[in-house]
Amino acid sequence: MLSVLIWLPTIAAAMIGFLPKSISTSWIRFISLTVAGLALLWNLWILLKFNINYSGMQFEEYLPWNETLGLNYQLGVDGLSILMLILNSLLTWIAIYSSSRETQRPRLFYSLVLLVSGGVNGAFLAQNLLMFFLFYELELIPFYLLICIWGGEKRAYAGMKFLIYTAVSGALILAAFLGTVWLSGAHSFALNTISTANLAPGMQLLLLTGIIIGFGVKIPLIPLHTWLPDAYVEASAPVAILLGGVLAKLGTYGLLRFGMAMFPDAWSVVAPSLAVWGAVSAIYGAIVAIAQTDIKRMVAYSSIGHMGYILLAGAASTPLALVGAVAQMFSHGLILAILFHLVGIIEAKVGTRELGKLNGLMSPIRGLPIISALLVLSGMASAGIPGLTGFVAEFMVFQGSFSVFPIPTLLCVVASGLTAVYFVILLNNTCFGKLNNNLAYYPKVVWAEKIPALILASLIIFLGVQPHWLVRWSQTTTTAIVATISSPSIGDKNAISINPITTIHP
Amino acid sequence: MPLVSTQLPPSTHEFAEVIHRLEAGGSMLPDTPENLMQIIGIYKAYAVPMDFYWRDLLYIAERVFLEPFSFFKYIIPQEYLDLHNHYAGDDADLRIWRGPATAHPELLAFIENGRTGKMPTLLHHLLHDRINMEFAEACMRAMLWHRKMYAPVNQFDAYLDSEEYRANADKAVKAYFQNNPVMLGLYKLFPDMFLEQCRQMSYYSNLGLFWEVMAPVFFEMSDIYDEGGFKGVPDAMNFLVNGIFAIAGRPIYHHVYINGECYEIIPKTKGFTWLYEAALPYVEAVFYRTAPFRGTKSYNAQVGQVPANQEDFHYGILYADVFPVGTAGIPPTLLMQDMMHFLPAYLSDYYKQHCRGEDDVLIQLGVSFQRSMYNVTSAVIQALRTALLYPLDDPNPRHLQANREFFEMQLNRFTRSDYGMRDSARLKQIQSQDYR
Repeated sequence: MLSVLIWLPTIAAAMIGFLPKSISTSWIRFISLTVAGLALLWNLWILLKFNINYSGMQFEEYLPWNETLGLNYQLGVDGLSILMLILNSLLTWIAIYSSSRETQRPRLFYSLVLLVSGGVNGAFLAQNLLMFFLFYELELIPFYLLICIWGGEKRAYAGMKFLIYTAVSGALILAAFLGTVWLSGAHSFALNTISTANLAPGMQLLLLTGIIIGFGVKIPLIPLHTWLPDAYVEASAPVAILLGGVLAKLGTYGLLRFGMAMFPDAWSVVAPSLAVWGAVSAIYGAIVAIAQTDIKRMVAYSSIGHMGYILLAGAASTPLALVGAVAQMFSHGLILAILFHLVGIIEAKVGTRELGKLNGLMSPIRGLPIISALLVLSGMASAGIPGLTGFVAEFMVFQGSFSVFPIPTLLCVVASGLTAVYFVILLNNTCFGKLNNNLAYYPKVVWAEKIPALILASLIIFLGVQPHWLVRWSQTTTTAIVATISSPSIGDKNAISINPITTIHP
Repeated sequence: MPLVSTQLPPSTHEFAEVIHRLEAGGSMLPDTPENLMQIIGIYKAYAVPMDFYWRDLLYIAERVFLEPFSFFKYIIPQEYLDLHNHYAGDDADLRIWRGPATAHPELLAFIENGRTGKMPTLLHHLLHDRINMEFAEACMRAMLWHRKMYAPVNQFDAYLDSEEYRANADKAVKAYFQNNPVMLGLYKLFPDMFLEQCRQMSYYSNLGLFWEVMAPVFFEMSDIYDEGGFKGVPDAMNFLVNGIFAIAGRPIYHHVYINGECYEIIPKTKGFTWLYEAALPYVEAVFYRTAPFRGTKSYNAQVGQVPANQEDFHYGILYADVFPVGTAGIPPTLLMQDMMHFLPAYLSDYYKQHCRGEDDVLIQLGVSFQRSMYNVTSAVIQALRTALLYPLDDPNPRHLQANREFFEMQLNRFTRSDYGMRDSARLKQIQSQDYR
């Protein structure tokens, strides 16, 4: 059942790659869209069958592969990964839909997008460290090509930087995985057979540090983030959606799954440092975003800031914070996707992303009024305005983390306030003011361009007013994970911080 | 090839090309077939709502008058739709348009059906499926607010402050409220308030009588164009100049009808004329200074964005923001909406081929309107030059220099950098066909 999510896009990617040249771009796009749609439907069906009261792995699949290496084909899904799978399938469909009908080298482009989708699904589903690593590394080359071939002016530089950073990230993760298995005496790379409890605390810390830095590059956390602005900005809008919406989540997912869950003792030792790191990332991302004059770069830095909240929540490791972390991963994926999509449309229509040149796009006839309205909505969601999904996620993160790390949490609240500042700057310059009569001959936005944004906006609003649909999937799993962590400062406060979840869960 | 006077050195003005064109008897608008098509099409689309404007303005001035609850002033009675235009029809004083004297057939069809279909007039009104008189009233108020213009040749305005006007208005007010002791009591307490309302009604009448002339002029221009009569933009402008002089002496007055009796608040015998008492103040107030026409931008008086002197006001049609927000209260939007109902087919097709086609037709239409009003302004400038200065082919170089200085003075109004006039006027843009 779960294999379909990996192999349907992967096989389709291979087939699309070998389609004859006579098939038009529109048809290739349509085929890709259909495959991504089928994967999304399959994913939704799995979601319907998913037992929210069971904390362990569900729909498990196992095939012996190379048992001498301890590498087996082992899949499963739990509350931590189910929403990530949905996010990946949805954003893949959105990315394909938002791609141009005149994309150059369409067979390669859509093959790579589907390959990325299948690979990301594999990483989220893998229950074997080596298998996770294989899927994790599988993203590297497709994304590198997607940036370098279809990117902007400095695409080669951005692609190479992305490649080097993420290769180093992969190497660190592989080293940490190998070290964990070898030193713990496990006979296999299967996740459920590995226990780090017998490892020396110093060794646990060393291995966890490798994992944190490895996934920290992917998230990214400062100062490991410098690949992100270039990659996000130079990538075309569909690729930026996948980079920000999906790939970054692989980092946070990996951190929670292989850092927090696999090294509970060491995690509780480093948690205070991680909380501070998350807060610094959040503040740094917001302040640097304020200083930007390129709206895509501003959105890219906002992503760094918002990822800091997830690290804070992971560090706090209360049930509510972890539910918030998963919710934030999903919400951030939606919000970043809609922002990149809208910024892509603005750039395509107006021909610039410069704040100093953009003005008055809210103008109803010659401007981009629907796009501007959706940009306002997305900005509000990103700034955590109540009634939108961003608020739900951030509120749970802050509420769940405050009792454990009050100062870093307050710093993140300040960062959330700064988010509103840079979005007001962005919206004020882009949407409001007077449209320049001499320049405003922008092409109109067709419905096909609006649909992805409308779908994402609907979800952002729906999950904002019905947060139950956002948190119910991960609640049981995250509570179980927290139970395995002996946080030094949590103590009885765990029980207190569970309550807010129950208020959300009717 | 530039048409430069042979007796004067070339102008060194920033808009020397436009100066030379005016000196050669042309318009501020370049002479291209595309410009001609746009301005004539717009004149036609403008004339149909204008046919409603002048009838309703006269109805309000003459019948609604000081009604305190004038909810139905935009619902024009049949009597005023049948009112004969003095410049059209068989019984015209001077037949400018060859069509009928009563309301234009397209206007009658629109009043009956609107865009939403046939239904009672009140429903059309409430659904805003109607001619927007708000635009006409904004123009009227612009004239009222920018009084004292063109004195002493404009004697109409001074007359509004005279004792004779006060006495005439007093009679009309007392007759209008003869069975209404409350209003008569208020009149006793606040006579100036009622007098100011009377002055406003006089401007309703003034503008109505002005547009009564312009509507058939534009209809006739449209018909001549359809028959292939105009060869270029200067032909269209000269038709306007000739029309201005032909009807320059048309009387401007204000009569009020109360219980079947006519009260002459401004009698025809005062000798106020169309050119000096209506046309010139109209052009000055509406084309150059109309208060809210700059559109959607808010102005900050405290940082000097609003002129301190009335002569510096520059919010008129020629400076109008052509990006409407589509809401009521922005007069150009309402005018564009009115004109959109009556676009000739060739102009609709033209708009569909450019920019966003039907989606931004209001803006394309607004730009065409701006072009057409530059042509009308050119006609007024040429008419003033004819009336006050010298012929274009005058052999005396000093006279030609005086003409040039007059033209340059007029163009300088559009090139001042104060209050952003230069950017708003867009005289440079209309020289290019790409400005749409």
